[in-house]
Amino acid sequence: MVHQDRRRFAHAALTLAWWCIYVGACVGGTVGTASGAEASPVSEDSPVSFVNDVVPVLTKAGCNSGVCHAKAGGGQNGFQLSLLGFEPLEDYDHLVLEGRGRRLFPAAPEQSLLLRKVSGRTPHRGGIPLPPDSTGYRVLKRWIAQGTPRGDTSVQLQALRVVPGEHRLEAGTTQQLSAIAHYKDGSTRDVTSLALFETNDSGMATVTAGGLVTAFNVPGRVGVMVRYQGLVSIFNAAIPLGADFEAPTSYNFIDDHVFSNLKQIGVPSSELCNDATFLRRVTLDIAGRLPSGEEAKVFLHDDDPQKRAKWIDRLLRSPSYADYFANKWTALLKNRRDDASDITSNFAFHAWVRDSLLANVPYDQLVKELLAATGTVIANPAVAWYKRVKEPKQQMEDVAQLFLGVRMQCAQCHHHPFERWSQDDYYGLSAFFTRVGRKPTGIQGEDLIFHNRGTAEAKNIKTGKMIPPAALGDLVGNIAPDDDPRLTLSQWLSDKNNPFFAKALVNRYWKHFFKRGLIEPEDDIRDTNPPTNPALLAALEDHFLSSGFDLKELIRAITNSRAYQLKAIPADGNLVDRQNYSRFYPRRLQAEVLLDAIDELTGATTNFANLPLGTKAIALPDNSYNKSSPFLRVFGRPESLSVCECERVQSASLAQSLHLMNATDLKSKLSVTGGTAQKLADDTTPLNERVSELYYAAFSRAPNESETNVALEFLRAGNKHAAGSDAASKVSRQQFEDLIWALINTKEFLFNH
Amino acid sequence: MIVLTNKSTHIPRLQCLVILCTLCGLLLCTEAVAQSVCLPAPRLLTTFPMGGQLGSEFEIVVTGQFAEQAEELRFSDPGITAVQAINAEGVAVEGRYLVRVASDTKLGLVEASLMTRLGLSASRVFTVGQLNEFVQDTGNQTLEKAMPIELNTVGNAVMTARAIDFYRFEAKKNQHILVDCAAKGIDSKLNPVVIVADAEGQDLNVERRGGAIDFQVPEDGSYIIKVHDLTFKGGDHYFYRLNVTELPEGQQVQRHATTKKVNAFSWPPDGLPAIPSGTEIEPNDSKSPQQIQLPCDLAGAFATAADTDVFEFNASKGETWWVEVASERLGRPTDPTVIVQHLNMSGEIPVLTDIAELNDIPSPIKVSSNGYAYDGPPYNAGSSDVLGKFEVKQDGLHRLRISDLFGGTRTDPANIYRLIIRQAKPDFALVAWGLHMQLRNGDRNALSKPIALRGGATMALEVVAVRRDGFAGAIELSMENLPDGVTCSGLTIPAGKSRGVLLVTASEGAPRAVTVAKIHGVASIGGQELQRRCQLASMAWPVPNHWNEVPSPRLLADTLVSVGGDEPAPISIAPRQAKVWEATEGEKLTIPLIHMRRSEFSGSIMAAKTLGEGFEKFTFDLPLDQDASDAVVDLAALKTPPGEYLIAFYGGAVAKYQHHPEGIQIATDLLQQATAANAEAKLEIARLKKEMASAAAELQVSLAEKLKAANLNEEQTAARVKTANSKLKSATSSASVKDIVDIVVSEPIRIRVHPREIK
Repeated sequence: MVHQDRRRFAHAALTLAWWCIYVGACVGGTVGTASGAEASPVSEDSPVSFVNDVVPVLTKAGCNSGVCHAKAGGGQNGFQLSLLGFEPLEDYDHLVLEGRGRRLFPAAPEQSLLLRKVSGRTPHRGGIPLPPDSTGYRVLKRWIAQGTPRGDTSVQLQALRVVPGEHRLEAGTTQQLSAIAHYKDGSTRDVTSLALFETNDSGMATVTAGGLVTAFNVPGRVGVMVRYQGLVSIFNAAIPLGADFEAPTSYNFIDDHVFSNLKQIGVPSSELCNDATFLRRVTLDIAGRLPSGEEAKVFLHDDDPQKRAKWIDRLLRSPSYADYFANKWTALLKNRRDDASDITSNFAFHAWVRDSLLANVPYDQLVKELLAATGTVIANPAVAWYKRVKEPKQQMEDVAQLFLGVRMQCAQCHHHPFERWSQDDYYGLSAFFTRVGRKPTGIQGEDLIFHNRGTAEAKNIKTGKMIPPAALGDLVGNIAPDDDPRLTLSQWLSDKNNPFFAKALVNRYWKHFFKRGLIEPEDDIRDTNPPTNPALLAALEDHFLSSGFDLKELIRAITNSRAYQLKAIPADGNLVDRQNYSRFYPRRLQAEVLLDAIDELTGATTNFANLPLGTKAIALPDNSYNKSSPFLRVFGRPESLSVCECERVQSASLAQSLHLMNATDLKSKLSVTGGTAQKLADDTTPLNERVSELYYAAFSRAPNESETNVALEFLRAGNKHAAGSDAASKVSRQQFEDLIWALINTKEFLFNH
Repeated sequence: MIVLTNKSTHIPRLQCLVILCTLCGLLLCTEAVAQSVCLPAPRLLTTFPMGGQLGSEFEIVVTGQFAEQAEELRFSDPGITAVQAINAEGVAVEGRYLVRVASDTKLGLVEASLMTRLGLSASRVFTVGQLNEFVQDTGNQTLEKAMPIELNTVGNAVMTARAIDFYRFEAKKNQHILVDCAAKGIDSKLNPVVIVADAEGQDLNVERRGGAIDFQVPEDGSYIIKVHDLTFKGGDHYFYRLNVTELPEGQQVQRHATTKKVNAFSWPPDGLPAIPSGTEIEPNDSKSPQQIQLPCDLAGAFATAADTDVFEFNASKGETWWVEVASERLGRPTDPTVIVQHLNMSGEIPVLTDIAELNDIPSPIKVSSNGYAYDGPPYNAGSSDVLGKFEVKQDGLHRLRISDLFGGTRTDPANIYRLIIRQAKPDFALVAWGLHMQLRNGDRNALSKPIALRGGATMALEVVAVRRDGFAGAIELSMENLPDGVTCSGLTIPAGKSRGVLLVTASEGAPRAVTVAKIHGVASIGGQELQRRCQLASMAWPVPNHWNEVPSPRLLADTLVSVGGDEPAPISIAPRQAKVWEATEGEKLTIPLIHMRRSEFSGSIMAAKTLGEGFEKFTFDLPLDQDASDAVVDLAALKTPPGEYLIAFYGGAVAKYQHHPEGIQIATDLLQQATAANAEAKLEIARLKKEMASAAAELQVSLAEKLKAANLNEEQTAARVKTANSKLKSATSSASVKDIVDIVVSEPIRIRVHPREIK
């Protein structure tokens, strides 16, 4: 629990390597012992195809996984196979021809080194993946006995279908899946026993190596990925809770889809939150700050039925909105200070993002200005991104992950194991960045950027072929040497038919407001990782596109929805829901927001180097301030190392608790001269009113009677002279400091709820 | 008041020290730490205000570096005059001047300089305008204390570090208000950020790239202008002028005047009409190219994102056309590029074939990189503009496309260009600056070097030529209108080369003076003698190490040459006889040198190098501890062909330098005067107190008033004592002996090499 988010980050960072080396190792058991359907029976005499029969056996057995013989750098112990059999013809050469054919012995198939190894008759560090009685062993033996033919390569796999494709799966029940391979010649084959199965949420459902899915009692949607020979198919299961309830009234199209989904899976929604909760929640989410006590009072006493919508509009007009979202984007865009001389470019870049958000520059235009940036940092701060991200491949990978939600890293060396992306796709996308010209400037480490005229192309390191710019399977036409390919890429991004760009953004912003993306992780959008509410995602995408990539309008739509304004307190039965938005999922305030909130409540100011006194933590331009602020480090402010939002640590930790309780900087904030505690101590208004002021400032609400009584009792008990006196009596500053300290350490303060 | 600082003191970074120690040994390393670079040169650093209105009189405060005893503030426009301010006691106030701007003074930028004991200082830009001027209120760093300002005024302000300046103005709905902050263009170090906000300080428009905000007022009311530095730096050197003007409908935006970058020297070509003969007509892209005829002179703009303008023309095989584009040199942040293509229409599909791709105008000499060590002057005479040619390979239609390599995503109609396609008109343009050289390991100084000469000193100016349209001939350099006792020798820019040197020498007894000189280059082109004016460039700020601070070179308004007359050069090196030294091809030529030493030196030799075409490879060790030496030039080794040559020897020498030792006496005198005045004031107080003790009641009131005045006088004189003490301390520190490495240049030496006799 303590390091859950840290683990997530580490996991994310290692994801690529993990996919590359681990795939296949997760497939438990052996082919022969797998439960579930076997592959279609084949007679002993029928010819065995290396591509269609042998390779799937090796894949299912994990032989060509990243940790075994498909390990990068030559495989395992001199025997190399392609990852997951993506290159079957190369595998044939390795297996049959390499080592003067020593691995196979058609005259006595069972004496073949291959069969002796897989069956454990010769020591094999990979264990016994194929015992002699397994189906897979028999396939290999028949193939060897037939003289190790390549087989008929004309019979090519065309599609993979999983049956059923989707199903409503009651909690605790199971569903057997069948994987059906469709070939170009029209034939089909049940390849269940040879296919690989994996669930995208093991907390909701598990799947065996044979394709048997078991649903747990967590309602929602779960996907099971089925893979066979480079193709994937997905089984979508809806696990209902089964409750019968009346869906609440929708405020907008978002509610239509959220509540429709809840109705479908039988998960009731929580009630609408009260005004105080809404005000605090939406202010934190849009502007990254607490509402002031005065703002809270005015809002709560406002009778205007449109006051929530009006408050949202006001927040979106405020500079705090721009500051807060610039903080989010600049971290993802690696606005990082490695050297003191980076300060100008970092400040300029941050300001450019912030100003663009404030001016509500359309998202596609913003991204275009970033990707196709030219000139110097001072004249065009977007250029600073090219100072941080220098190589075309890195530029492409960051753009793909951040703006398309597609992780392309795997495809640099081999076909993406979970996606349809090939190496040509990888180099085709990176080719857009191959004409980025650089000239040195008078500033260390800073180049001016221009379009270097010429033909854009990138070399596929495996085939040696020069690959022209290509946008993940979409045609972008020939790009003339005079045209900047990055502009072409930008045009493709902003095309209404682009399947990734708008989707990735709305999913990212949805997560910002709801804690969980419709697709998780938010930057891993792929066929095999389906959204929990596809209709909602599509509707958000449509809305965003039709608004002209209007970021504020997207936020307006989200925060005006009833779904966003639900209580965090669970209603009957929806406590187990973690992906259907039947209630608001509380989350700890971000490091910068929390620091600002504490400053606001205590009346203190954090002093940040090179910035005016009073600069908010959400307005910090780069990561350099983490070094001087233990608070920001402990509460997980990112170091802008990656494009992954997971770099921000949002989980709780012991260090955080201790910091909030005992840290010197917190104590000094509580006792700051002229701070809230001193002002309240010096104030002469009735004590209960002063307590009320504090509650408004901390929680955007008045204290209830019990809270007031506890606070008054505490304050009076701490001052002997004031004991028993009226509410206007003197209370020491120390008492107010302790009360503020107590409020800060409540979950209500620390969380957005 | 004038601030006297010695900013040239420089301590290399630890990293540099480690490298130095490794390479050169600890001794050298220690010596390097103790050295400063370049002898003090007077510099005017700030004026406040930084501009004035036509026909007005006002007081300005100046600060400078090495600008002691400045008695005169000069402006490059004679319409502006200044006299030193006089205090109530009739004493001239250091650093304060009363300035009068005549009503017929030309609007725009002028340059101000101080005449100091070391000569005329480096200049600072000063603006002459028509608007009412205001001066920033102190403490306007919060919204609550926003300074109220009127429209159509211009403010003078200095930025405080880590602060934001606030101004408030009133405006009516639909008014266009231009908010223009001048900073970099008036020599400030400020990277200005200007924000227009509502009355509550909520940002509405932001400009961070040096542009102006054209603010359309949404509602009647108060609005806030915020100004700060991009990285919130501040201090005296971070000044700005804030123009807030109403922009009448249809009136074009007029930005505050700015200085010119160095590379602007090569624009315009001599004789170019001010107005081009044609303009581009949009849409003129590849689908509908604009038809033109050569030659042409067109005005255009990279007005929209990725704007590409295509021109189509007929040309004949064998023709050569020169293309010149100005855009960056017009002050725009652009990088024009030109592609010329032949259009083959004979097939079904038109085929375009490249015949030329024209990009930057490269710097004629290598510019300093941003690496560790000095590897070139910190001036770039090149440009991102275009100057090149294309040769027509076949008859027929051709296309020229021009685009901005920096304009892919930018829409700004202000990014104008001028395109000229002409037949060859050989010509050249010249620019000069004070010679820089490596003075010690890792030295990357970028100091402003006014031509303020010490008696007996020779200063070298590096002159660089941009050659036009194939001109490759030699360029003779000269300088005129020099002060008495000052001479100049121009080392020719040889044929095909781009660099020459001017040597400006002040005789040992040259009197204190200043003149506006002119530098010329003369070349023979097409049988005619062409003379071109050479512009002078300098740094806006002295940058001791441009590893740490990006220098700001710019063109100067005038070439001002002065002699301080107060301090001689530490050493003068000259040939023993003022004659032409004659030798025969392949022989050794011995040139006896005399060393007029007026200082001690650290180290006994100077590694001397040679300026002058054909002699650059000649080096020798010049003894600094002797009064004479011989330079033995092996003409055989240099393979010097017969001819006339002008050379000079130069190198870096570390002088034991005392800066303005007389300053100690001056400060001591001031202290004594202040102390005496203070003692007198105290005595007066004591006397008055005694008198009051015995005075009649009716006299008490008047005595009490006198005592009050005496107390005030005592306070003021005590303050004078404090100030004088501080000055004495500063003068003493400044006058202590320091190791300063400087460039030493010999007087020019004429050599005639005769052909070897053929037997």
